[in-house]
Amino acid sequence: MQIYLPIAEVSVNIFLILGMGGGVGFLSGLFGVGGGFLMTPLLIFIGIPPAVAVATEANQIVASSISGVLAHWKRGNVDIRMGVMLLIGGVIGSTLGVWLFTFLKTLGQIDLVIKLSYVVFLGVIGSLMFIESLNALRRSKRAIPPKRRQHNFLHALPFKMRFRRSKLYVSAILPVAIGVVVGVLSAIMGVGGGFVMVPAMIYLLGMPTAVVVGTSLFQIIFVTANVTVLQAVNNFAVDVVLAVLLLFGAVIGAQFGARAGAKLNGEQLRILLAVMVIGVCVKIALDLTLTPDELYTIGAGGGE
Amino acid sequence: MTLSHRLLKLTAVPLLALVVAGFLSTSSAQAKGLDVDLSKPDVRLDVSFKGSELLLFGARDSQSDIIVVVRGPNKDTPVRLKERIAGIWVSGNEVVFEGVPSYYAVASSRQIDELLSPEILSQEKIGLGQLGLRVKSAPATMAPAQLDNFKAGLVRNLVAENLYTGEPGKIDLVGKQLFRTDLWFPANVHVGTYVVDTYMVTNGNITTRNSTQLSVHKVGIEAEIFSFARENALLYGLLAILIAGVAGWIANAVFRKRG
Repeated sequence: MQIYLPIAEVSVNIFLILGMGGGVGFLSGLFGVGGGFLMTPLLIFIGIPPAVAVATEANQIVASSISGVLAHWKRGNVDIRMGVMLLIGGVIGSTLGVWLFTFLKTLGQIDLVIKLSYVVFLGVIGSLMFIESLNALRRSKRAIPPKRRQHNFLHALPFKMRFRRSKLYVSAILPVAIGVVVGVLSAIMGVGGGFVMVPAMIYLLGMPTAVVVGTSLFQIIFVTANVTVLQAVNNFAVDVVLAVLLLFGAVIGAQFGARAGAKLNGEQLRILLAVMVIGVCVKIALDLTLTPDELYTIGAGGGE
Repeated sequence: MTLSHRLLKLTAVPLLALVVAGFLSTSSAQAKGLDVDLSKPDVRLDVSFKGSELLLFGARDSQSDIIVVVRGPNKDTPVRLKERIAGIWVSGNEVVFEGVPSYYAVASSRQIDELLSPEILSQEKIGLGQLGLRVKSAPATMAPAQLDNFKAGLVRNLVAENLYTGEPGKIDLVGKQLFRTDLWFPANVHVGTYVVDTYMVTNGNITTRNSTQLSVHKVGIEAEIFSFARENALLYGLLAILIAGVAGWIANAVFRKRG
């Protein structure tokens, strides 16, 4: 059954979109990630204009993060104070990011920047995650305790704040800076940024893993909401019909994913996720480097 | 009388003559009778829109051939050439073409180059090679041959998107006087006012022409969402968040009960 999307201005198969939402929702429930890094490239692949894909995916992530954060909230796994610091950075970063997005669109380089960001971030995160979980698997076999966190220059920064839930006393500059980076990514890549923020919170800030996911989801809600509004106002690129279809599928998929995830080993899951992240990265890298069939492209704009 | 007035008068006279001649020719043409109609008065983009076929039909002189050209609303269109920099394909030089039809379809009862001379085709902008694309902006150093490559690239892109007809359509001549052809509007058509020009051709000349307008527009919920998103962008963005928020909350409530 075809449906014509009012903003994307293309006709898509309803069941394809629901299936994609369900599939990515399943994976996000399984791995505890937002899934934006998979969904946005998929949307572009099926012919949704990149600008619409990025903006609409931000809208969908608002929904999945809210549903996720409520579950973590109940277990007391959200550090509001830390979340607000990340959020301050996130709002600055996402506003900057949407502005950059609009600017790059007029230059005709937005597609390139979206793809390059994907290759760089997915490549780095995927490889790190892969190595880390391999090591963890080995460690668990030999039962060697992990190294203790060391003090470095990050702990010498001013404006120190106490974060009780995270059991941390660190400079507020750190979470704000992480927030800015994630905000820019969120606007340009149409992702929540959890896949960057979660490792940064664990390895840079040294937050306990239990509060990391809830706190990052808390921040993601507001940053993606900010991106949604800014994209709607600056680029008219949010397709509500597409977003509703996606989140309907994703909500159902995530439930099954979470149940399946409970039955699997955590380290094996992370290796699987790492392989998937690297896979998406390689696919996009090939798109950028293989000679395209058509060298001439029609630019956006043209008084639409 | 100043020189400029004189010049104005000199140019005005032939211009006026042309207008009158044009008027006479169209009125005499209508006397000869080239009647054209479409099976639907407009193309409506609704929720289930997946492209639309329109039947164009009409009556002609029995010895004449027919050419139909449909043009979508004009747009300034930038075309970019990808180039390889450090192994990566990057958008490079940009040429902006002025007033490019966003849709272009040709149909004819015989091959158009058998019917009309290249001069007339070019003058009337009939055929993909005769679009009369004008360059609005281009890098100063670009040679005409390169510009032609950009033009060809633009047309190839639009043909690939099914917005231009690669192969001219066929007009069926029915009996002595009737003709008919199917026009296809794909799902990715742009909204706006389209112009359907029908030419009656005899002995290498256009004897009669008929121009009809066709509106392509969004209707129903599609039109409302689209115009709301444009006119109340901020409110639209906030509503999108509200919908997402409610959906997320409901999902969590359902999940909690089952879990």
